[in-house]
Amino acid sequence: MNEERRQILQMLAEGKITADEAERLIDALEREQRESPPGAAPRPKPKYLRVVVSSADNFGGDGPGRVNVRVPLQLLRAGVRLTSLIPPQALTQVNEELNKSGVPIDLTQLKPQHIEELIEQLDDVTIDVDQPDAKVQVFCE
Amino acid sequence: MIPNLVTVRHRRPDGRRLRLHVPVLPVLLVLSPLLLLAVPVGLVACLVLRVSPLGALRGAGQLLWALPGTRIELEQGRTAVLVSVR
Repeated sequence: MNEERRQILQMLAEGKITADEAERLIDALEREQRESPPGAAPRPKPKYLRVVVSSADNFGGDGPGRVNVRVPLQLLRAGVRLTSLIPPQALTQVNEELNKSGVPIDLTQLKPQHIEELIEQLDDVTIDVDQPDAKVQVFCE
Repeated sequence: MIPNLVTVRHRRPDGRRLRLHVPVLPVLLVLSPLLLLAVPVGLVACLVLRVSPLGALRGAGQLLWALPGTRIELEQGRTAVLVSVR
């Protein structure tokens, strides 16, 4: 049994995920294993999320701007785990404020394992926005 | 592993540069008396906000452990700021 499958079963045993979620994760894992050809070296897992923004705009006459941010994916995971500590009454208040601002998102429905899953899938995310005066790139490396 | 070194670089519009290398562990040791004072304050804050103190401690530890490798670089014309955690 490989390590990922063991982790999924462990999460199921600890009640962190439901049987349905475990099944979906195991299916995804099997799909991934089928897609990679036998004997091929496994693709190294990305460690960082990188955001690069280049702008030719001359804000304040100071010249073009550039932002280059590299965040370890582990830091995102740690941040996500911290969100589980937010007390329910604070989440209710945040929900109310989000609703007032026209963003009807119910944060109480956001479970840590869902966000964990989201971060796992970030590995394959590549966003490229090209404009004549600006360029934005978001990717994992 | 906790961060070893935090590097801050700042380039001003007039070309002057500031480089700051902060060794985390020695700084933490120097600030340890203050940290000891901060622990009960944090504990009380956790109890008031009904947050598990152990969970908060573990979360903060995980956050600290995950910091190495973070790099933030901002550049605007001749002004630039770099923060790097190693």
